[in-house]
Amino acid sequence: MQKDQRLLDLAAFLLKAAEPVSWREIQEQFPEDYGGRGEAAIRKFERDKADLLELGIPVRYDAGDEDLPAGYLIDRDEFYLPDLKLPPEDLALLYLAGSAALASGTFPYARDLAHALNKLSFAARAPGASEAAGLAARQLSAPEDGDGVDVGARVEELSRAIAHVKRVHLVYLGAERGAPTERDVDPYGLFQRGGAWFLAGWCHLRRAIRTFHLSRIVSLTVNASAPRTADFAPRPDFSLAALATRETWEYDVHAPVRCRIRLDPPVPAEVVASFGPRARLAEDGGVTLVEVDATNEEGLLRHVLALGDRAELLQPKGLREKARAVLAGLERGLA
Amino acid sequence: MTEARGKKAGAAPSPRKATRASGAPKRRAPLRAAARKDASAASRHDPRDRLRRVLFLVPYAVRHPGIPVKELARRCGCTEKELLADLDFLLEVGSPPFAPDDFLDLYVEGDRVYVALHQSFSRPPRFTESEAAALAAAVQALGGEGRERAVKALRDSVPRDRRASFDELVGRIYAGAPPARESVLGRLQRAIAERRAVRLAYHSASRDADSERVVHPYTLAQRFGHWYLYGHDPARGKALAFRLDRIRECALGDERFDPPNEAELARARLFSEAQGEAPSIRLGPLAAAWALARPGVRLVKRIEKGGAIVELAGASDEYATRYALSLGGDAEVIAPPPARRHFEDAVRRTLARYR
Repeated sequence: MQKDQRLLDLAAFLLKAAEPVSWREIQEQFPEDYGGRGEAAIRKFERDKADLLELGIPVRYDAGDEDLPAGYLIDRDEFYLPDLKLPPEDLALLYLAGSAALASGTFPYARDLAHALNKLSFAARAPGASEAAGLAARQLSAPEDGDGVDVGARVEELSRAIAHVKRVHLVYLGAERGAPTERDVDPYGLFQRGGAWFLAGWCHLRRAIRTFHLSRIVSLTVNASAPRTADFAPRPDFSLAALATRETWEYDVHAPVRCRIRLDPPVPAEVVASFGPRARLAEDGGVTLVEVDATNEEGLLRHVLALGDRAELLQPKGLREKARAVLAGLERGLA
Repeated sequence: MTEARGKKAGAAPSPRKATRASGAPKRRAPLRAAARKDASAASRHDPRDRLRRVLFLVPYAVRHPGIPVKELARRCGCTEKELLADLDFLLEVGSPPFAPDDFLDLYVEGDRVYVALHQSFSRPPRFTESEAAALAAAVQALGGEGRERAVKALRDSVPRDRRASFDELVGRIYAGAPPARESVLGRLQRAIAERRAVRLAYHSASRDADSERVVHPYTLAQRFGHWYLYGHDPARGKALAFRLDRIRECALGDERFDPPNEAELARARLFSEAQGEAPSIRLGPLAAAWALARPGVRLVKRIEKGGAIVELAGASDEYATRYALSLGGDAEVIAPPPARRHFEDAVRRTLARYR
């Protein structure tokens, strides 16, 4: 019998059963699938059980007691999606966030996310306005062209590798190097920054935690052997959020340098916020002085230049000179 | 019992199908033909994909009797062909002892699907850990007052055995930092859910000034790494997008509004149609490699020495200038003339500060 049919039949059978079903009875009901006496039949059943659990259907073995026989069962309470019992505004949050993520075209576990949004309409009493708003969000921000399809597939592949703790082999085109490099990476997590996705993980080539821009991954292979066995244990000190919230000038390139930037009024809140939570701010007669510790000056230079004439690099001198040189070079090209 | 099972796998016509046909006389014959044509395509997929689909499809169709095939397919995220193949597959699904009542009672009439309430699949299964984790990651990126509650509710909806995996997985996706203050987001969420007007204190980047507006909030949506509120501005008589990180204050009004209809939303865009030409930018070889990886950038052509010409569809002149300057001197806005002038101005004014 086809595997999908067997799994569904098995689930229907166990859900309907009034009490735990013994292994022998399961064998009798599914003679072609689990028949025979060997270990093979039990292993097949165990694999099916694992597949069902991945689908959200927990089959468990009950050792039995005086009232009930020993056997396999699906707890109805553990199977059916419960009511989430959330207030309407929290439901709105779920629908809006999920829909927008899905519409962006690239999001980890995108297919799962689509299933989750579908299920949500069952898990909530009268979602109504929230659900409609969610659908609207999906329509509004869906990419109009084929952009990002490739990255979407990468995200999907890496999501699986991360969930199953499998090592990946990358051909990667770094920023500075012209030629691609090959390396094994233990994928720890995925993060989004400025609308782009990055992989974070242990790089076996550099023997350090590294981040990889997904659009720069030339090719990717996931270790296919022993799919249910973990290839690595992530380092305990790893924090995805810490890595993801690093500003570009906080990338680990050189020793920390104290930098000062002057922002002239009016200073929009988002411009101040763009220097991140670790920036030290001082106000002086409408002028905002920003101080950051940079370990990648180049990143800070680019950030400040993008703010145009409302921002000015004051210190260090060398970086200020570099800003001037870049702008002077651009000006020469204007003629 | 065992006998019935044995026959099930045998050659058609099996006794099972005969029973089914008499039990559900309305079922259309062409269903099977459609399914067979699609069988090769379906077999390429992971069988679990189909299972996940049908575990949603059955209870959904039960809850919406007579739902059009087209709509059900859309809800399931598959083609109509795939859906018909799924329905055909479902006809085979039953449980021992495989008596007529042990099968799903489903039929397609015209283009509508009917499924009788099934004793086992009346509701979808719980969230899998990856379903719940993906949704939780999306929620954490948006933020809002109910974020903790929502994530906890998601966790509780995962089978008990899988909650540790859920915790693990949530820590492996970081989809961005919340784009606005909790209070602003919380109020917007409530207003969207209750269809209530909001009064916003909004900072307009193009005019570099704050303004007050009343907005009928339709939805929140994300584009190119930024979050927007999309809603109708009655004073201006049109739907507009407001960047969430530029909303300083948000107050709920008492006024209720009518939701937009589907046709209106189908026409809706987060940004008004790009007016005129998209700004185009020349990238040097150093900038090209990175710039092309950013969202919203369209490659027009490659030029000498590994450089490129790109377009930023829908971008303002200001955005184009910022984008070019952020590439550290290896990029310039070249067209159309107003965008070029904006860039030239910015370069000269900024350079003046360093002299």
